[in-house]
Amino acid sequence: MGAWLDEPLTWGDALAVFLWAVLFLLIVLGFVTYAIYYERKVIGWMQLRVGPNRVGPFGLLQTVADIFKLLIKEDTIPRKADRLLFVIAPALAFIPAFSVLAVIPYTEKLYFADLNVGLLYYVALSGITTLAIVLGGWASNNKYALLGGMRSAAQMISYEVPLVISVTGVILLSGSLNLRDIVAAQDGGWFWNWNLFPQIIGFVVFIIAAVSELNRTPFDLPEAESELVAGYHVEYSGFRFAFFMLAEYVYVYAIAALTTVLFLGGWHAPAPFLDVVPGILWFLLKFAFVVFSLFWIRASFPRVRVDQLMSLGWKVLLPVALLNVFLTALYLELFVK
Amino acid sequence: MFNVDITGEFIAFFAFAAIMIGGAVLMISLEKVVHMVISMAAVFLGLGGMYVLLDAEFVAFVQVLIYAGAVSILMIFGIMMTKHSGESEPVRPLHEALVAVGALSLFGLFFYAIRTTDFPDAAAAAPAEDNTMAIGELLFSGYIVPFELLSVLLTVAFIGAIALAKKEAE
Repeated sequence: MGAWLDEPLTWGDALAVFLWAVLFLLIVLGFVTYAIYYERKVIGWMQLRVGPNRVGPFGLLQTVADIFKLLIKEDTIPRKADRLLFVIAPALAFIPAFSVLAVIPYTEKLYFADLNVGLLYYVALSGITTLAIVLGGWASNNKYALLGGMRSAAQMISYEVPLVISVTGVILLSGSLNLRDIVAAQDGGWFWNWNLFPQIIGFVVFIIAAVSELNRTPFDLPEAESELVAGYHVEYSGFRFAFFMLAEYVYVYAIAALTTVLFLGGWHAPAPFLDVVPGILWFLLKFAFVVFSLFWIRASFPRVRVDQLMSLGWKVLLPVALLNVFLTALYLELFVK
Repeated sequence: MFNVDITGEFIAFFAFAAIMIGGAVLMISLEKVVHMVISMAAVFLGLGGMYVLLDAEFVAFVQVLIYAGAVSILMIFGIMMTKHSGESEPVRPLHEALVAVGALSLFGLFFYAIRTTDFPDAAAAAPAEDNTMAIGELLFSGYIVPFELLSVLLTVAFIGAIALAKKEAE
């Protein structure tokens, strides 16, 4: 762990850690604001609409206005709700979402925590958000909210299993759970050294499971507007609702960054002669592409039916992910050793 | 007795200890079952933090993944389907006084034992450079038989669960 654990904790160190966290939070909030704007624009264009274009130049301030509206809205708590849990749930959903970002390495030098079980940390903490969603649904004391919460928990648990098993291949190839080592192991100069190609099966399973973990279309059953009103957050309004949405978009950031790190070679350039471009730009380009793909998927696919959802997770993704682990292990045993 | 430096570790230890003890006390004293599960999840999280302080990151995050995440959700699933309102038990003063005396003497016993024990130097068990790797190597070399037996046990449980669910559905 960090060296500061053993040293006397000075006020200066504590302040530095705090200020870094605040700065990073502001960056993430900026990302979320413009990711929402960008998502609405992209989906608008794909559906031959214009998208938001009224507030500010090109509609750039639309999300700011939306968030401001949410913040000044009346804060309502249903009378029959479990007040304490109703209040805790949104914060409990957001805190893990922000905490998982600590282990993402952006470049060789720019990272927050160099944890030797970085990947496990990500998976473990993101599970807490599921707990918060179930609690939010239960505490609202509303049948649609409860249904949404239950669906969400079932879905997130079922898809977390293939998600974790699909990255096992990457762990086998790089021999580490540390995200920095995983990126370092993909350094070969060319783009075919990235885990994307040797681990193409794992990558496909990972992307499907990740979209499902994010509760996004085509796996947005927990908040399927047309059948559940709004799902687990139907009773939430104002800034508590904003917190749930924030957690969701912070996970978009996290999954996009994780995909970049695990499969797309992190900060490495796709070809040796492109090394002059700084690593952070490559990271951002790949990151932006993954985020765009998520929006693209959302605009293109219809929603999966609830009975197909579980069988897809358990009967298709899980065996394929296991097969991928087996093949990777076989390859390593036969050709590498 | 208080000859300690205020390090980050020291502060973190007390923060996690407070979370764990607070969670444990709330777990017993709260009335609604769902609230109890949440306080227990807090204890699990605090325990995960303690493992991190002991340089056992792998165990720490597996603890968070399995207990704070999966087990808590499983319990909530079970509880949600049952009763909603809290239920208070009748107060029995004599019973509670006896339990308090018992708990306090147990605490006294532990406290005395811990204070009088002479702990060997902690440096004897230096943590490995990459303790996840060390766990893996130990698990698949020295402890391979128990590991395989556990896998068989889990598979049996898994198949049993499917068989039971199938029987129920028919």
